[in-house]
Amino acid sequence: MAINISNPNNRDAVVAVEGLVGKREVRYVDKKGGPTSNVRVLKADAEHELAVIQKKHKTLDKVAKVLVKDDPEVDMEKSGMFLTDTSKVYVSPGGILHLVEEFELIYKTDGKLSKRRPREKKPQNINSDIPVRWTGKFIKKEDAISRFVFTNTKQLVHINGLTFDFLFKMAEDLAKKDSLLLLRAGEGGDEPVVMNRGGKQYNAFLEGRVKGQSYCLLLHLSNMELKRPEGK
Amino acid sequence: MAKNLVLSLDGKEFEVVLSRIDRDDLYGKVEIEAFDEKGRPATLKVLAADGKTLIEKGGTALEVINAKGDSIDRTELVPVDLDGKEITKVESSFNAPNVLKKAEADDYLALVVKSVYLLDQTEESDLQYLHDHLTGKQLFSFPFSYRGGLEHDAAYILGDGKDAFMVVGKDGNIDYLKLNQAGALSSNEEQEISADDLSFDLM
Repeated sequence: MAINISNPNNRDAVVAVEGLVGKREVRYVDKKGGPTSNVRVLKADAEHELAVIQKKHKTLDKVAKVLVKDDPEVDMEKSGMFLTDTSKVYVSPGGILHLVEEFELIYKTDGKLSKRRPREKKPQNINSDIPVRWTGKFIKKEDAISRFVFTNTKQLVHINGLTFDFLFKMAEDLAKKDSLLLLRAGEGGDEPVVMNRGGKQYNAFLEGRVKGQSYCLLLHLSNMELKRPEGK
Repeated sequence: MAKNLVLSLDGKEFEVVLSRIDRDDLYGKVEIEAFDEKGRPATLKVLAADGKTLIEKGGTALEVINAKGDSIDRTELVPVDLDGKEITKVESSFNAPNVLKKAEADDYLALVVKSVYLLDQTEESDLQYLHDHLTGKQLFSFPFSYRGGLEHDAAYILGDGKDAFMVVGKDGNIDYLKLNQAGALSSNEEQEISADDLSFDLM
């Protein structure tokens, strides 16, 4: 993933963004100590689901008999196949849809419906012609961590020597301030960050660390405050 | 009834009730409904790579395979550490008091967050001592496992002096990226902001 980000001098550059992953200290091996891996497999496709079989055979008694006798829930060609590169699609009784009308149902914290509106899919705004803006607004680390939950953290990575300098300087400036920098995106430079089209909006903060001649720039994304929910 | 967690700070022990909180508890939630051109309800399904096979929710499973691609029964799996040594399972954190250690903001900021809990006192316990320590922007950590298992998560206790929270996750693998140059740039006008200036509820 790429991000177009500006520095305090309004110079911008496209650099890479990588997800921060948790340290994994456990792995599984087989009985002989050989490596193992996880794969997603198909159990049954939509045509072999119970609801479809039940439609064909009407009563549950008949369904039970046919399940034992003929295995209609198993597609011998497909069941067990490894699934990679899957995608999500909308389906109606007419088949796969290429055009759908989507609505957002907004519920309050008490579970009551407060609004229904056509869904607005905001485009991603981290890698566009308009760079993510260095707002110059800082928040002390200790204030930020006691107020926000950083639900997603990414790391900015340089892609060449020039962007190394660019990011190193940013990290150095931020490390000196011991603060997080608020980032904003969009044309007006005042919008939350959207990583993917139609995705969640986040308040984004940039943190910089420096160790000798190496740097670490963390992009902290938050869509949740650290506070007691009403009524809890 | 759920067991309470016992925390220990400076030799003082206090029992806390955990309540998991998420974004929906704070701001409500958004659900999407979709319709086709004729106004018929549309549902989301998974489409396999062949472009034809449609899969309902629950129509897939996770399998473990060996290097040959053969399926392995989960009971045959052996958990090992990075050196290949068999792992001793860890106990649930609810089984014994959990000693809190002072933690650094930088460690917390490298956490890959999994869940957030609100900490409340029980009828018998008093969290004032903990709240007093959290007021000074301190944070504490301890290894945490909800049910016991192969490894601990990292739990951080934070708060504002009024409420205390436990944020659980995995310590992230952060990389310090190397090269041997540094630029010299001046900064724009800077401004301290208050956390209250940020809006979260409309996101």
